[in-house]
Amino acid sequence: MLEQFTFVGFLFLVALFLGLFMFGVPWLLRLRPRKSSSYKSDPYECGLRPHGEAWVQFKAQYYIFALVFLVFDVEAVFLFPWALAYHHLAFYAVLEGVIFILLLTAALIYVWRKGALEWM
Amino acid sequence: MTQLVLFVIFGAITLAAAIAVVTARNLFHAVLWLLLAFFGVAGLYVLLEAPFFAAAQLFIYMGAIGVLIIYALMLTRGVMRQQVPLVNDQWALVAVLAVALLAVLSWLFLQHTWPTVDQAVGPDSLRTLGEALVDPGRYGFPFEVASVLLVMALIGAVTIVRER
Amino acid sequence: MGTFDTSQLLAILPQILLVVLALIVLAADLGTPRGKKRSLGIVTAVGLLIVLIVTLAWPETTEPVFGGALRVDGVGKAFQAIFLLSGLLVALISMDFRPLRQDGAYYAMLLFSVLGMSLMAAAEDLVMLYVAIEIAGISAYVLVGYMREDALSAEAGVKYLLFGAFSSTVMVYGLSLLYGIAGGTGYGRVAAVLLQTPFQLAMVAFLLVLVGFGFKVAMVPMHFWGPDTYQGAPTPITAFISVASKAAGFAVLARALHFLFPALNNDWPALLVAISMVTITLGNLLAVPQRNIKRMLAYSSIAQAGYVLIGITAGGVAGITAVIFYLLVYAVTNIGAFSIVSMVASHIDSDDIQDYAALSRRSPALALAMMVALLSLAGVPPSGGFVGKLFLFAAGIKAGLVPLVVVAVLNVIVALYYYLNVVKVMYTVRSEHEEDAIAVPAPSRLVLVLSVTGVLLLGILAAPCYNVMSNWVTGWFS
Repeated sequence: MLEQFTFVGFLFLVALFLGLFMFGVPWLLRLRPRKSSSYKSDPYECGLRPHGEAWVQFKAQYYIFALVFLVFDVEAVFLFPWALAYHHLAFYAVLEGVIFILLLTAALIYVWRKGALEWM
Repeated sequence: MTQLVLFVIFGAITLAAAIAVVTARNLFHAVLWLLLAFFGVAGLYVLLEAPFFAAAQLFIYMGAIGVLIIYALMLTRGVMRQQVPLVNDQWALVAVLAVALLAVLSWLFLQHTWPTVDQAVGPDSLRTLGEALVDPGRYGFPFEVASVLLVMALIGAVTIVRER
Repeated sequence: MGTFDTSQLLAILPQILLVVLALIVLAADLGTPRGKKRSLGIVTAVGLLIVLIVTLAWPETTEPVFGGALRVDGVGKAFQAIFLLSGLLVALISMDFRPLRQDGAYYAMLLFSVLGMSLMAAAEDLVMLYVAIEIAGISAYVLVGYMREDALSAEAGVKYLLFGAFSSTVMVYGLSLLYGIAGGTGYGRVAAVLLQTPFQLAMVAFLLVLVGFGFKVAMVPMHFWGPDTYQGAPTPITAFISVASKAAGFAVLARALHFLFPALNNDWPALLVAISMVTITLGNLLAVPQRNIKRMLAYSSIAQAGYVLIGITAGGVAGITAVIFYLLVYAVTNIGAFSIVSMVASHIDSDDIQDYAALSRRSPALALAMMVALLSLAGVPPSGGFVGKLFLFAAGIKAGLVPLVVVAVLNVIVALYYYLNVVKVMYTVRSEHEEDAIAVPAPSRLVLVLSVTGVLLLGILAAPCYNVMSNWVTGWFS
């Protein structure tokens, strides 16, 4: 069981290394512009200069998208084992999953028609 | 042996991150630590041979709930920047109570021999779970009710959040 | 994979109907123009009436259904009827509560909450119980904070949510302990294993679970959320939480004590006696100085929970029947009182007791109905509240809880003082607004009539009602 996760562990180590590497190399080599200016420390080198701060107040509307995402994420987790067992299920058991989905669809339609999913 | 080492590593990650959550002065940093704690728990699930729950933990907690909390913080920009005091004047009392509770619970748990399953988790465990979830004799009914719970949570949250 | 017996669906027909009703309300909401949403309250109330009739007409079963997840027995049915009745009355008074924005989602949340509670009353499985409690709880958080623009309502919602989430976390920790001990989630299995479990471990699990139940019931020391939440919530929802949510907590507590924790039968009564004494006394003493009627009724409802705990502690057919009878009386009475508070608040935009001055001259009918409700809450004969308290105290004495009953009786006198104080303000204090009558719209009039006749009928015809209920309860003890 655990052996199957060796690859996952390996990937995890690679990811960790890459992140540390990217931060580590400039720090080790003391890489910094010889002549520092405010332009050089901008996040983007071209285009308009950033205006204001990155930490702005979001619209409450965005929060709804995160919520809908969460609800359907949970739904997916519930339905995954059900889908996996599909071939071994009796008809009524499949129907149960369908009812599960239909109920959530009804909620989605309601929320949609209410205009809660409008962007802005 | 490997298992023990990995358990110590993931346990340490979880605990350290959890402590960082409650001691971080910046709320946003606290959330990031929380995500790390979630990750540690996912690792523990893998060690318990429950890969599905590990994946669910990553999906739901690190993915959806992490995003949700960060969005919530973004809604309250003022709070995010504030350096709020971490304790109030009752912290000593609460700390004593918490430690006492931990001591009592640990003592109780260590004394008890917990029932364990001898059988290893088979490769079909996820399918068995899927069957149990829709089996009316097992969790079929709570499963359907859970869908009602999700419906209710979705509609309720949208009702509360929606800008008027 | 088991086979599926469709007759199981019949046992949960009321719950299926509730879901369908909620979906109908939501669908109707989409097709209803903004100004006409008030009519959704009628749809909700009529639907709940149908479900109530179905629930009462359905024969109760003693066999568990869905692999032991639910057992819709007589006790469960009685509690379900109380929730449905509360939901019905609350839907009616919600239609006329002016600060409330009429919306389909509001009524749907109410229905979901009733659904969660009716599952709580019948759940005999830890997973089922938790899902049911969360459905009832989350919808209640939304309803409390529903008037988001109102700072008090928003604060009430947040407080209720935080306390609720905390207590539910503690409870689910307790539930996980029970699962860990027993290796299963059915009440029967857990109870059997608990008998062989060391006392301390079983007790710790019980205490953790009790935190969750105690929050619903609002018993000391899990009562702190009460007054602020009651004050800030939309008044119809205050009525709903103070009645239905509390009754649901008692339903779960009674079933858990009987079917889940028989191993602790010798230990929990002493604890509950102490909690009951403190709850009754604290609730009544803190109600005395209140100037806001919703806060006063909040503390009074904490005290009422203490009285009900007497019946829970006494147990047996007498105890549980007294609990059900009292909760039914309390539902009718308290929703009646809150419907008047709601109408007054819609008219004069105030919940201060002193603004009830000369209500007897402004609207004699309202003042009379309020007096009946308050006297029933206080336990003055011949109201249902009097008989209900009598049943509770009798069950307590029969079970040997004499000190507790003495404390409760003394408290009834304290309670009489603050209830009568409101009556005094309504009837003897003059006011400059005496000419300004308070309008009573048709749905609220219906609630008032139902409430007053209910209080009086339950007082006068107590014996037949009691017999019907005790027939439902005997299934647990035979």
